[in-house]
Parts: sequence; structure tokens; C-alpha cells
Amino acid sequence: MSQATDLAAAAGSADPRVGLRAVVALRRLLERLEIVQVDNARRQGWSWQEIADALEVSRQGVHKKHAGRRPAGRQGGS
Amino acid sequence: MLERFTPQARQALETARAERRRFRHDHIGTEHLLLGLLDERTGPVAGLLRAAGVDADQVRAEIEREVEPAELGESDAEALRSIGIDLDAVRATVERTFGEGALEAPVPPGRRKLFGGRYPGSRLTPRARKVLELSLREALRLRHEHIGPEHILLGLLREGEGLAALLLVRAGLDLDDLRRRTVSSLEQAA
Repeated sequence: MSQATDLAAAAGSADPRVGLRAVVALRRLLERLEIVQVDNARRQGWSWQEIADALEVSRQGVHKKHAGRRPAGRQGGS
Repeated sequence: MLERFTPQARQALETARAERRRFRHDHIGTEHLLLGLLDERTGPVAGLLRAAGVDADQVRAEIEREVEPAELGESDAEALRSIGIDLDAVRATVERTFGEGALEAPVPPGRRKLFGGRYPGSRLTPRARKVLELSLREALRLRHEHIGPEHILLGLLREGEGLAALLLVRAGLDLDDLRRRTVSSLEQAA
């Protein structure tokens, strides 16, 4: 924990191991957040095209990535 | 099948599920089932395991060492902290809107057969599922109508190859002996 505080002080560490690990963690967080938000959008009736536009990616890409999955989360955030 | 579980057995499964969440593991393995059985609320089986020298804290410490944390585990939290992101705060915010566990990995499809959507079975590892199947078989073999924590323990010992069994062996237990003691504790109760 105290080590983490030191790391926080040196935000954007020059040590590649630390910096790259942060990138990995951020990517994992991004993936989870994307799932949560795409599922929410679908529950609220958004089309794949609308979601793709909002995410600034192709409709095919977002459909391929998310359409086969069982929607996560229980409540809508409407 | 779930209907056959006694309230104590359900409690053990509930505790196993809570332990998975606490560890932020993706799946419920035999090791979480073992922690479930060590929960006082599951009745005599917890005492039986403790008397045999199994300690819940010890088991937790071993699990911590043995099981790779799920994605977005503690090491991710630490890495995110290094760039000024508080994962716990993000998680709390997301869960406030989308419910508990919203940031967890989605349950892979096609894993929900045996215990249906109602149950943590959807996150059971194949081995843990096997343990529960064997617990049913043990109950049938002993001509018991219900599946109690003892039967789950018997299933766990029968399966014999999961992390739970390994931890028990490492704690110096003789699995055959534990099996005999479990069966005789069931006979005393009957």
C-alpha cells in the first residue's frame, strides 16, 4: 500500500514495468466499462449503429464484440 | 437439484459465493466451497473440519497464494493508483447505478445449465460443479433424501483433485480418514 502511494507520487512512472502495467490495468477497466455501458444502451433500446457512433467505432466492430454476449448487470440506469 | 440442498448446504454455497466475490476471483472453485463448509453456520461439518486441523484463515492465505487474482484484482487497482485512478471509487460509482458486481467479468455463456440462473452455479468451475454432482451421488448412495454440507464435503473428498483437496492434504489431513469421520458424523445425526 505504501508502495502504491510512492507510485502515485511518481504518476506516469519512468519505469516501463510500472507504466506498462498501468496501461494493462486501464485496458481491463476500459473493457469492463464498455460492457457495462453497451449493455445499458441496449437495454435502453439503442441500436448498434447509435452505440457505434457514440463509441466512435464501426457498427460491425461493436456488434461483433458485444452482440453474442448475455447482457450483464441487473438494473437499467435510465 | 438445488431443491435437495438443506438450508445449511445452501448457506455453504452462499458463503462460497461471498468468498469468491471477496477474492474477486472469476469463478467459484473447490477452494471457495471448502471455505463455505468452514462457515460456522453450516453446522457440524465446520467443527469437524476445524477439529481435523483446518483453519479458515490459513485456507484463505493459501488461496491468496495459489489462485491468480481475476482481472481487475488488487494488482490492477495498484497499477491504476499509480496513474491516479481509484479503482474502488470507479467500482463504487458504477455499482451505484448498475448494481453490485457490475464491473465483474460477464459470465461466459453456456455455463448455466445445472444450477440455472438462480444460483452461483453459473460461475462454478467444472471441478466445483463436479463436487456438487458428487454430493448428490453421495446422498443417494447413503439413502439420504437431502444434500447437507457433509455430502458436499464427501463430494469434495471424492473428487479429490481440486485445490481444496490439495490444501487439506497439505494441512496434513488424511482424506480417507476425514471421509470416514464425515460419514460417521452423518450416521450419528440420523
